[in-house]
Amino acid sequence: MTDFHPVAFYLIATTVIGCAIGVVVFKNLIHSAISMVCCFIGVAGIYILLKAELVAVAQVLIYVGAISILILFAIMLTRHRSGDISIFFHRQSWVAIPIVALVFIVLAGVLASARYNASPESMNLPTREMASLMFNQYAFPFELVSLVLLVAMVGAVLLASKEKKP
Amino acid sequence: MTALQHYLLLAVALFCIGAWGVLARRNIILVIMCIELMLNAVNIALVAFSNYTFGGSGKGQVFVFFVFAVAAAEVAIGLAITIAQYRLRERTSVDEMKEMKG
Repeated sequence: MTDFHPVAFYLIATTVIGCAIGVVVFKNLIHSAISMVCCFIGVAGIYILLKAELVAVAQVLIYVGAISILILFAIMLTRHRSGDISIFFHRQSWVAIPIVALVFIVLAGVLASARYNASPESMNLPTREMASLMFNQYAFPFELVSLVLLVAMVGAVLLASKEKKP
Repeated sequence: MTALQHYLLLAVALFCIGAWGVLARRNIILVIMCIELMLNAVNIALVAFSNYTFGGSGKGQVFVFFVFAVAAAEVAIGLAITIAQYRLRERTSVDEMKEMKG
């Protein structure tokens, strides 16, 4: 475990988990969105710790830059009611906590007991080789995903545009 | 615990918090935000496995970029549906979205 920095990891992991809990429990949607942005920045830090610089930069560009702005605009375009806690959480929402806790315990138990064929050190491809992997071996899925993105954007514009009743 | 298990435990915790938000909250925009948290957790697991196993082949990181693209598409569609629904009914609560027809 030579290249694992425990202090940096625990610092960033605490930030990520804390901000993620904030997203769920804040009553004001804008506060939730800001908390989500902090969580995304923390996840970018995790990628840096994993030596995946390209993914970290893409995370900051796409999530922190684009997706959070989209969500903030959607919050601003809709009006939200304020009131007591029943407006924000379902009546049955207490059931969700034991279910999620059970899922967490099962998953954590599995990953703690499983044997990995893992190397002790994190290894990463240089960006140049990542790009050649993406544009040679995975060229077809790459084109397919761009098509998915195009179709989704056209569909979003169609859905959100004001239609004129004849 | 090895270093890989630290990252995987973080991914599991983030995924479960996102699932909690999806199950418990009423506002549809917040549900979309929590789905983003869950996708981020999956991305952490992908990058961690990619860099610690099979000699760091980097294939998991390529998949992370695909997940990015699909997440962007999902947010765009989800928010467009939210705004279309809001124009129609002035509601953003998932409990009140019983029908999607215009």
